[in-house]
Amino acid sequence: MKALQDKARELLAGGAVQVVIGYGRGSAAAARAVFVREASAVDALVLDETCLQNLAVYLRKPEVRRLGKAALVAIPAVLRTILQLAAENQVSDGSLIALAVTPSGGEVVPLATLDAVEKHVAGLDFPRGAAEEAELRKFAEMGLQERRSFWEEQFSRCLKCYACRAACPLCYCERCTVECNQPQWIPVPAHDLGNLEWNVMRAMHLAGRCVDCGDCSRACPVGIPLQLLNRRLVDEVYERFAFRSGMAVHGENAMSTFKPDDPEDFIR
Amino acid sequence: MPEFRPRIVAFVCNWCTYAGADLTGTSRMKYSPQVSIIRFPCTGRIDFMLLLKAFANGADGIIVSGCHPNDCHYSSGNFHARRRWIVFRALLDFLGIDVRRIQFSWVSAAEGAKWARLVNETAERIHGLGPFTDYHRLRGMGVE
Amino acid sequence: MTLARIGVFVCHCGENISATVDCAKVAAEAAKLPGVAHSVDYKYMCSDPGQQLIQSAIREKGLTGVVVAACSPRMHEPTFRRACAEAGLNPFLCEMANIREHCSWVHEKGEATTAKALDIVRTLVAKVKKGKPLQPIQVPVTKTALVLGGGIAGIQASLDIANAGHRVILVEKEPSIGGHMAQLSETFPTLDCSQCILTPRMVEVAQHPNITLYSYSELEGLEGFIGNFKARIRRKARGLDETLCTGCGLCTQKCPTRRIPSEFDAGLGLRPAIYVPFPQAVPNKPVIDRDHCTYFLKGKCRLCEKVCPTQAIRFDQEDEIVEAEVGAVVLATGFDIKHGDFFPEYGYGRFQDVIDGLQFERLASASGPTLGEIRRPSDGKVPETVVFVACAGSRDPAKGIEYCSKICCMYTAKHAMLYKHKVHQGKPFVFYMDIRAGGKMYEEFVRRAMEEDGVQYVRGRVSRIYERGGKLVVKGADTLLGARPLEIEADLVVLATAAVANAGAEDLAQKLHVSYDAHAFFAEAHPKLRPVETNTAGIFLAGACQAPKDIPDSVSQASGAAAKVAALFSRSELVREPLVAVVDRQAPPVYSSCVGCFLCQGACPYQAIEKEEIRNRDGGLIKTVAKVNPGLCQGCGTCVALCRTKSIDIQGYSHEQVYAEVLALLNRGEGDA
Repeated sequence: MKALQDKARELLAGGAVQVVIGYGRGSAAAARAVFVREASAVDALVLDETCLQNLAVYLRKPEVRRLGKAALVAIPAVLRTILQLAAENQVSDGSLIALAVTPSGGEVVPLATLDAVEKHVAGLDFPRGAAEEAELRKFAEMGLQERRSFWEEQFSRCLKCYACRAACPLCYCERCTVECNQPQWIPVPAHDLGNLEWNVMRAMHLAGRCVDCGDCSRACPVGIPLQLLNRRLVDEVYERFAFRSGMAVHGENAMSTFKPDDPEDFIR
Repeated sequence: MPEFRPRIVAFVCNWCTYAGADLTGTSRMKYSPQVSIIRFPCTGRIDFMLLLKAFANGADGIIVSGCHPNDCHYSSGNFHARRRWIVFRALLDFLGIDVRRIQFSWVSAAEGAKWARLVNETAERIHGLGPFTDYHRLRGMGVE
Repeated sequence: MTLARIGVFVCHCGENISATVDCAKVAAEAAKLPGVAHSVDYKYMCSDPGQQLIQSAIREKGLTGVVVAACSPRMHEPTFRRACAEAGLNPFLCEMANIREHCSWVHEKGEATTAKALDIVRTLVAKVKKGKPLQPIQVPVTKTALVLGGGIAGIQASLDIANAGHRVILVEKEPSIGGHMAQLSETFPTLDCSQCILTPRMVEVAQHPNITLYSYSELEGLEGFIGNFKARIRRKARGLDETLCTGCGLCTQKCPTRRIPSEFDAGLGLRPAIYVPFPQAVPNKPVIDRDHCTYFLKGKCRLCEKVCPTQAIRFDQEDEIVEAEVGAVVLATGFDIKHGDFFPEYGYGRFQDVIDGLQFERLASASGPTLGEIRRPSDGKVPETVVFVACAGSRDPAKGIEYCSKICCMYTAKHAMLYKHKVHQGKPFVFYMDIRAGGKMYEEFVRRAMEEDGVQYVRGRVSRIYERGGKLVVKGADTLLGARPLEIEADLVVLATAAVANAGAEDLAQKLHVSYDAHAFFAEAHPKLRPVETNTAGIFLAGACQAPKDIPDSVSQASGAAAKVAALFSRSELVREPLVAVVDRQAPPVYSSCVGCFLCQGACPYQAIEKEEIRNRDGGLIKTVAKVNPGLCQGCGTCVALCRTKSIDIQGYSHEQVYAEVLALLNRGEGDA
């Protein structure tokens, strides 16, 4: 924590950045985002196991961009988000400094270029917990009807509040498909059909892009395990196309490319 | 209870499958009238949302068909479509939606007989699966 | 927006439709659909009275759209769209409901069939209601063609385009045009001398006022799209001022470095370091081979400079990049044959007297290293027995070449004949798999080799070739005699090695965004119906760069490509169907709903999606958004389905149209079955 505060102070005092986006103490147990603009205020920065939010979500917000060049406290998922955003032309080289950290503390690695982020990410592991693996396995073993019932129950609670969208750093579109009304792709009210369509669309639009940070699930006020949908597609894209998002600055997108020998056992 | 007649929408590309279905007609081969075709320039154009819309509006089954790999009129639209369907199927299956409701295929302009066979077999399978009430009942209140 | 007034015209097609579909009922039911102002049925809609029926309804009822329920749009869409246009309705507001191929012909007579016909009509009515009038796209055309490759295909294409009155830039990577054909001795099936028929064409190229020839040059890059390409051409340094050089040849005679294997003679002859590849070269100007020139290697010599009567030598010359605007490109980069250690079992590359077909051409050529006498490379002896091996590499999946090289059967017969004509007592054998002599006078030619010239054809493959006592032992089997093992002691072996794509073909294809097959031959847009086009509009194919071809086929294809170019250049503007993708544009401050993720760019098969920077008055960047180049877009719509913000739409198959079709198809109104 001290190392992070020192680094933030140095960057702000020296004028290398105008804002440090990091984690601070919120009113509840979870950490919340803070925007530190003065070297004297770096004490507000914290770093512990509660620091899970994907702060990259702020990179494309005009209000944040107006603050000037930013240093972004970046846990591993955030680093991958930065690369994915770069691959999608949403962040440019030199527009930010990533302060690579892990929630458990340790050293702070400042990464001033996208290439440096890419190199750093290449050296990281992105292990998936045993509990998460078990959960996906549980779904694979469920019957079709059981899965159907599970999700029907989950989606019946969806309020269409779009908190999942607001939390997702890759949902940066200025006009989402739900906002299109000619034609109206997704019905506006929160009902079973519209909720299903919204969630299918969200997952499809994140296929090959999602970095599995989990902020959608954490943001959902009614506790729908949205990350599971994304994670299922992260696996599908990896297993079928040997592709992982957010690993390269100039990475292709799994869904906008193809291989002539992609599997087609389901096509007659 | 009236006999169940499935409604099946076929999303096909203009250059191969649409022409293949034309050939089925020219050859006077017969198939189930429960399938109707919507024409697209290429399978690459087919938005997954349209498939959801078809189910929501009463389709019991869907056929998606285009040019065989390497025969795409636009050289690679079908390859992009194939990737999209791989992911889409995985997602639907994960959500407990029966992917047997959607038949993907490649039917070339020369495969009139294949088209007839594909339609009949799909119609038969959908008939066996019954009406897609699981999905249709989602059209609850307030749906246009 | 004006209210839709759609006309529905249901065709009986004689009895083709009405036999199983109740056309009157379909017309009556269609009349009840919202927005349908007029609905009739008629015996033959495509007949003149039928078309007039539609045209007068458009005029009298003020129709805003037309649905013709008849045959496949692949049959009569142009007919009805033209009729509508003549009556003043935008042709893209006319759609066809295919109730014949997709309905009446494939279902039995009955209510279900009539109900389906109505479903189809309802679907297309919904589509037309969401349709927009579209205008054809006009793209300006630069009437200059770039021809890449100066072999016979490139020469023919250049001359044809130039003779049609258009300008041509011909780029050839070697110091002279002529290609492989210039290396050939005689040509099948007439046995006329290759150079005698080729060199006048070469001279014609050099002298044609419409042709600019860049020899010893290569394409550096190509940007743009049909009608509007920008080419960058690298003119490699020849080491001399071409405007001063008279081609007198003194330099090439005096050059002291003279023992360099000649590329033109397929390595069988020698050339100096400053050289003209062959006497009839066009242009007849030498090139300094910097890899072998003593001055470039050791810093001393400059003998050529001293003897040059016009002081044309330029040792310090550098490559020059020329830029050119062209409207079309013809790819005629030709082929190569398989060399080297591809055939270890045949000792090719190891035994001097196992040679390939091109080397035999040079031996048989009057201008070749032996002045046309058949003498084997090792000791210059006239061979008494020569074995020709067809299909050396071709049709051999184990070697990775499944295809037939197409020219070998014929040139092998020719080689055997030429040998027999020159060495009367000689014994030629040909090992073959099958003889493929499809072509005018081809079969007769092969027969002549067998029957008149006594060439011994052995059906079977050669398994091994090895040396024994100054002879090459060819081991094979005669499969027509029960696979009897056969051993021939030969003095010379000629392998008809597989024809393959040029080494740089893949790179070039990528530069041009042209697709190519697994063997790096360039891919035609359609194997039957568009054999000279590529998938990139404005880039055409000629000759063996597409697949192995003989001279007549190469010339035909070159003329075909030239005709395509001439047709493209026949108008100053290119008119295309407007069924292309368009990216949303709006008034400030939004400008476009596109967020510039450019996923679409990766998916576009035609590189039609560009980045457009939207800037404010001070030049500050507001946003970067996608833009579709309508000259390049072919209208597949892959980008449309990929766009998360629905910012790209495709004209003629728009979101609104296809969405409306799905809903209309599935939502039958009250009362209809």
